[in-house]
Amino acid sequence: MKVLALRAAVLLGLLGVWEVVAAPLNPILYVAPSAIPGALLRVFRVGELPPLPEHVWLTLREIAAAYALAVSAGLWLGFVLGLQKTLGRIYEPILAALYAIPSVVWYPSLMLFFGLGPASKIAFGLLLGFFPVALSVLAGIRQVDRHLITVAVSMGAGPGAIFLKVALPAMSATLVGGLRAGLALSVVGVLVGEILGSRAGIGYLINYAYGLFMTAEYAGLVVLVGAAVLALDGAAGLLEARVRRWAS
Amino acid sequence: MGKLKIVGCQALSLAALVVGWEAAVRLGLVDPLFVPAPTAVVRALAATAGEALPRLLDTLVKTVIGYGLAVGLGVTAGLVIGSMRTVHQVCIPYVVALYGVPKILILPWIALIFGIGLTTAVLSATLFAVFPIVLLVAGGVRDLDPALLTVATSMGASPWQVYRKVLLPAVLPSALAGMRIGMVFALLGTLLAEMFAGIRGMGFLMQKQAMAFNAAELFAATALVSVLSIAVVVSLEHLNQRLGKWR
Repeated sequence: MKVLALRAAVLLGLLGVWEVVAAPLNPILYVAPSAIPGALLRVFRVGELPPLPEHVWLTLREIAAAYALAVSAGLWLGFVLGLQKTLGRIYEPILAALYAIPSVVWYPSLMLFFGLGPASKIAFGLLLGFFPVALSVLAGIRQVDRHLITVAVSMGAGPGAIFLKVALPAMSATLVGGLRAGLALSVVGVLVGEILGSRAGIGYLINYAYGLFMTAEYAGLVVLVGAAVLALDGAAGLLEARVRRWAS
Repeated sequence: MGKLKIVGCQALSLAALVVGWEAAVRLGLVDPLFVPAPTAVVRALAATAGEALPRLLDTLVKTVIGYGLAVGLGVTAGLVIGSMRTVHQVCIPYVVALYGVPKILILPWIALIFGIGLTTAVLSATLFAVFPIVLLVAGGVRDLDPALLTVATSMGASPWQVYRKVLLPAVLPSALAGMRIGMVFALLGTLLAEMFAGIRGMGFLMQKQAMAFNAAELFAATALVSVLSIAVVVSLEHLNQRLGKWR
């Protein structure tokens, strides 16, 4: 209780300081917190900025497509490399080395291949989300106890039963962590793509407000998107905790 | 399978990839406008090296400054947050939230205030790198066994000795892990800032080549940055192991 009160006090204190500091400064550069609700109202009102709902809808569809592809590709490659030991030992280091490269170096190439439309954003979200999923499958498979599988086989369990009853529970905690990290990165990928160059989507809207020096509206959009991203990750976290409880 | 054989298979796979790629372009299976042949990329690399290397250095300098700031701030904040229980409880949710929010959202604001030069890129690098360092250092301090501190103090160790002999070695692994992740994030932040609002550096160069449809030059630049980042990560890894031995 005391901790919660302190947390709220810290947040309010920071906002208060910001308000006082920003008041005499140029509002184009420094937006006071009190200006944000009004700016958000203007964002929602049709006419001053491009209509919000359709841009949000496009971004959501891009994220959904990117994440679905990232999960499919990540699970597939993770299981192929994890179950085929030889392939795994050859290609996992290459995968890890690629993961060490800052992902944004790939974005200009993707933009060249796919243009400024949604395809390049989906491709970048796919690329970013793919790595944590694939690597978590690989790590998860390593956590499965070989003896348990041997025991299950000797007791006459088929491959399906072994996967569902032995392997999946043992690797689920790691796997779900990877799926959550992949979701966060797919979201980041789509947003980065939209902000670096696009003609539609929430990132385009953010850039639009920023480009016209509508800094209060820009800040309002950032608060909105930031809160949405945190809420999404929080929901994924709750799901992750449930799966962990189920597995243990 | 021996280690040599694995490396051999890796080299063979990469060679096959390059040869297959070259063949695909030569046979007209892919459009060289989008996917230039490896030989064309190598030629572009040679032709643009004079322009690209100073830009690479520029990006590296920004990254190192931003990284230095992030390590200084991050380790200090991590030690403070980690060593005081109440501060830890109050602050950690905010640090986690800041770590989770896509930093690209704040980049336009930094560019608005600091323009398109060095400062924006450096601050972007710091912003990307600082939160994982704070989290890992604070976590490392939290995980420290309090009994160790009690024993050291009761045996008459001075605060400096406690810090030097107990706290530092205990926190070092998580700090090093944070610093390794931080380096990749710092490079990411620099490149992103250069792509978003820059007139120098590799990020700007790559974005420019993409816009101008110079696929071969773009691939060459991408390869240069990739090699640089792998080299940086590998050398940090190396440093890590040596420090691990010291510990």
